Formats: sequence, structure tokens, C-alpha cells
Amino acid sequence: MGGELTWGLPVILYLFLAGVGAGVGTVSASVLLRGGGGGFGGDHFRLARIGALLSPLPVIVGTTLIVFELGQPSRAFNLFKVINLSPMNIGSWLLLVFICTSVLYALAFLPSFMPEMKHLSDRLERVRRGFAWVNVPMGIGVAVYTGVMLGAMPSRPLWNSPILALLFLISALSTGVAAIILLRAIFRRKSADPATEQGYHQSAYLLTASDVMLIGFELMVIFLFIMFAHLTIGNMKYAVSIILPGGDMAMMFWVWVVLIGLLLPGLAELAYVLPRLLYHRHYAAPVAVEVLVSIGVLIGGFMLRYVIVVAGQVTGPMGI
Amino acid sequence: MNDEPRPTSSRRGLVTAMIGAVMTAAAAISTSVFRGGQAKANGNSSEPGTKERKVQYGMVIDVRRCIGCHACTVACKSEFDVPPGVNRSWVEYVEKGVYPNVGRSFLPRLCNHCSEPPCVSVCPTDATWKREQDGIVVVDSGLCIGCKYCIQACPYDARFLNPVTNVADKCDFCIHRVSQGLTPSCVNTCVGGARIFGDLGDPDSDISKLIARNQVTVLRGEMGTLPNVYYISADHTDEIDAGRPEVRKVEVITHRRDKKRR
Ligand code: SF4
Ligand code: SF4
Ligand code: SF4
Repeated sequence: MGGELTWGLPVILYLFLAGVGAGVGTVSASVLLRGGGGGFGGDHFRLARIGALLSPLPVIVGTTLIVFELGQPSRAFNLFKVINLSPMNIGSWLLLVFICTSVLYALAFLPSFMPEMKHLSDRLERVRRGFAWVNVPMGIGVAVYTGVMLGAMPSRPLWNSPILALLFLISALSTGVAAIILLRAIFRRKSADPATEQGYHQSAYLLTASDVMLIGFELMVIFLFIMFAHLTIGNMKYAVSIILPGGDMAMMFWVWVVLIGLLLPGLAELAYVLPRLLYHRHYAAPVAVEVLVSIGVLIGGFMLRYVIVVAGQVTGPMGI
Repeated sequence: MNDEPRPTSSRRGLVTAMIGAVMTAAAAISTSVFRGGQAKANGNSSEPGTKERKVQYGMVIDVRRCIGCHACTVACKSEFDVPPGVNRSWVEYVEKGVYPNVGRSFLPRLCNHCSEPPCVSVCPTDATWKREQDGIVVVDSGLCIGCKYCIQACPYDARFLNPVTNVADKCDFCIHRVSQGLTPSCVNTCVGGARIFGDLGDPDSDISKLIARNQVTVLRGEMGTLPNVYYISADHTDEIDAGRPEVRKVEVITHRRDKKRR
């Protein structure tokens, strides 16, 4: 490998964290819009709420990291003195809007924790839904742009693929779902009331089933990404060989991203989802499984960014 | 470093005003969409050679005359106080073959001042642009935030983050010299006369004549960047070629911190 990386760990972490935050925000907002107001005994509401509170955090941490990765952090404001067609410029504007709206969206959930403020919380429902409508496209925009930013350069053949943005979007949504599952599992308090338990599992099923679908989709996109790079002759084929068997980063990619990040969690989730899907059995995944699966997906999401960002930089166009 | 007046292209000079900026973005889109059509129209209406030409500074590197002495590297370094470990200009060695059938050729490198510079189109702050008046691609060290996007986007590794100023830096065709009618420092110092600088837009310039009369190549032409640094007799062999069954040995010595071309 050799050579210094122009974009190192802070950028990789940023791409991962911004993806998780954007994914969590999108998922939370979608759940709220699809019936978080009441129904399901308020479980969807709680699901949306935990997502809303989480979503700004990784995005803000990631953004802080990337600002200090700049050669001139104090000049970061220059990004907002112009609007041009640079993906980084568009991305920065999207990020700015998303940070603002996701923080406001999260704040709008706070009164719902205090029973004495129920009145206020009910009144805020419209506000929450309003921000949810904004956060879905903004979250998708932030997630997509991380891929567009890498994909915009012929000088980096591995990244120079339109499907990379789609891959990052799906990974963002999938890691977003995983982060919500993980938080819910950690903060879960077992209840003696069977209805409450039922509600918890009901929304857990919703999350897990979506994650299975996203993971399947992500595997498909990875297959297309690699297959088409490999079928090309020239720069792309040469670049992608680094993650194919025999390449320097093949182990990292296939073990950490595909096996630990996608296949194993996907299969584990499928094992719990299928009985419910096919035979309408009761869905109840043990907390340990939920924790392990979501940690696997999160590790996989990080490693995907890591492998793609590093592999893209240590390979270049063929010849001179 | 670059105190030339800024060009008055529509993309430059507008700040903060969001609406104005949105309109510029829209204008930029429509210009790039319609550029193709306009170019065609121009070509039809005017005879070749009569259409107005732009000044585009460029360089020819006649590798037959290069002796690999690194004088250009050193001249450029001292001209700009380029910090250790980074280069605006450098000379690569390409060694091929197995003894006794071996050869070594030289490849002096610098920014190509591309006509389609990807470094410019990715810059999020408009801190780097191609000058209207002479086609030199410059960096405004007062505006650059050091995001390194342009460094990624350049297919020639011509840019670097200056470790002293912490902003993007690269060859600027010695604007301070050429604007005074002097040749760039590396050209001035070249012992073999291998570097020829001039206006590619002027058909009577030495450089244009040289290009007309010789077989020239550019580096990584397939990137679509339309470089303005041309090479005569350059060896485009790369270390990747060593992996081919019919090529036995290739070694590229970059003389840079990055031991490999990227
Ligand atoms: S050689 Fe690189 S830095 Fe120079 S104009 Fe071309 S893309 Fe930009
Ligand atoms: S490093 Fe500076 S010149 Fe290069 S893209 Fe970023 S802001 Fe523009
Ligand atoms: S033209 Fe000037 S800046 Fe560019 S390589 Fe030569 S000496 Fe260096």
C-alpha cells in the first residue's frame, strides 16, 4: 500500500458517522410519518423518538472531526460563502440544513418525556411531523452526497462509479436501523405487562425486517459494484482488484464488510423474521441477539467506508 | 503568492448572497449544458484559424533533451520556498529491461494546467480556478480551506497540501515571472533546454511550432483533462506494465515521498 492517505481516519469516521446519523434521522422520520402519532400503543412514537434524539449526535461528532481534518479549520465558513456544483459544497449545505432540522426535530420530542407537559407535547405533534417531512429528504441527501463526493473523480477509478452513492445510502439506512435497534436494546426495561412487551417486539420486528431487506439490497449493490468494475477493462478493473481475492485489502473487505457486517447479521435477523413472516409466529428476538446483530452491522458499515476510502486512494489510474 | 487581479468570470466574486449564488449555479448548469451546442455553432460559422484564440500558456517537455539532473526541481523549490517532502515539479526515472538490454528515461512532471481541470470543478470554495486571461490554474491561498478535495481529484498528483501554509499548493507556471515577460524558473534553469514554455494559442509561438512539427503526447489523456503540458518522446511505461507476462522489468523512481505514482 504505501504512500500517505490524503483523506485519513477522520474523513472515514465522518463518512460513517454522517451516514449513521442521516440513516437514523431518515428512519425515525419515516416511522413517525407512517403512524407514530398513536396506534401501536405509542411504540412507533417511542421508536421515532429514540431515533430523533440520536440522529444529530453522530452527525455533529463527524462534522467536528472533518472540520479539524481541514488544513485551515478556522476557514470552514468559506464553504458557505459560495454555492457551486462541487459535491462537497452541495454536501456542506445539506449537512448544515440537516444538522439544524435534526436538532430541532429532536427538541420537539423532549416535552413528551414529562407527563406534566403532555399538553405542549400534543401541540408539538404538527411541528414534529413538519420536521420529519424535511428530515427524510435531507437525511437521504446527506447519505447520498457522501458517495457522490467520492464518486466525482476519474482520478480515483474505484470511487468513480454511480452506484457508490447508492451503496452508501443503503449502508447509511441499514446502519441507522442497527443503531436504533442497539439503543432500544440497551435502554430496554422488561415490563410485566404483556401488552407493552408485545408492542416492543412489534416495533422491533418492523426494524429487523427492514434491516434484512436493506442488507439484502446492499449485498446486491456490492455485487453489481464489483461485478461491473471487474467486467470493465482498464482503470476500474485494475482498481477493484485490490478488494478481490488476492488483493491487498481483500480479507478486510470480505471478512469485515461482507461476512461480519452483512451476511452474518442478515442471516441472524432472517432467522427471527422468517417465522413471523411465513407462519405469523410471535416475533421475539433475545436482547443479546439484537445487540450482536446491530454491532455487527455498525462495524460492517464503518469497515465499508474504511475499505472503500483507503482502497480508492492507494489505487489510481493505470499507466501514466 | 498570487496577487494578480481575480478574473471577472460569472462564477467568481459573488459572495454570501444566496439568491445570487443559486442563480449562478443555475447559470453554470445551463452554460455547461449548452456549451457543446455553442461550440458547434462557432465551428460552423467561422473558418478554421480565424476564430478568436485565447491565450493558453503551456509547456513542451522534450524528453530527448532531459538528462535527469533535477535542476528544475531545485530551481522550483528555491523559487517558492517549497517545504521539504513536497514538490511543485519533480523528475521521475523510468527503468526498463534486464541487463544488458536496459534503458532509463526521464519524465519531468508539473501541473498540466488542464483545459478541463477536475481540481477546479471539485473545489467547494472556488479557491482554485482557471484564469481567463492565460489559462493558468491557480489556488487562492487566502480562500482555500485545505479540504484536499482537489488533491484527490488531480489525476497527476500535481497538488499537495503545503505543510507550512496548510492550503493546497502546486505549480502556477511562475505567474510572477511570466507576467513580467520572463520564462518560468524551471524553464530558465533547464540545462538541456528540455522545457519550452509559451502560448499555445499563438500559432507562431515556438511552443506551437514545436507541437506542430513533432509527435507529442500528454499524460493520462484518457482522463479527459486536456493537459497543456506536452511531451516529446516521453516513455509512458508504468510499473503496472511489469505485471504483464511479456514485460520483464520496469522500475519507476518517483523521487518523491510517494514512492508510487497514483
Ligand atoms: S494537472 Fe492536476 S492540478 Fe494541474 S490543472 Fe490538471 S488536474 Fe488541476
Ligand atoms: S484544498 Fe483548497 S483549493 Fe483544493 S478543493 Fe479544497 S478549498 Fe479548493
Ligand atoms: S513553472 Fe514555476 S512553479 Fe511550475 S514547475 Fe516550473 S518553476 Fe515550478
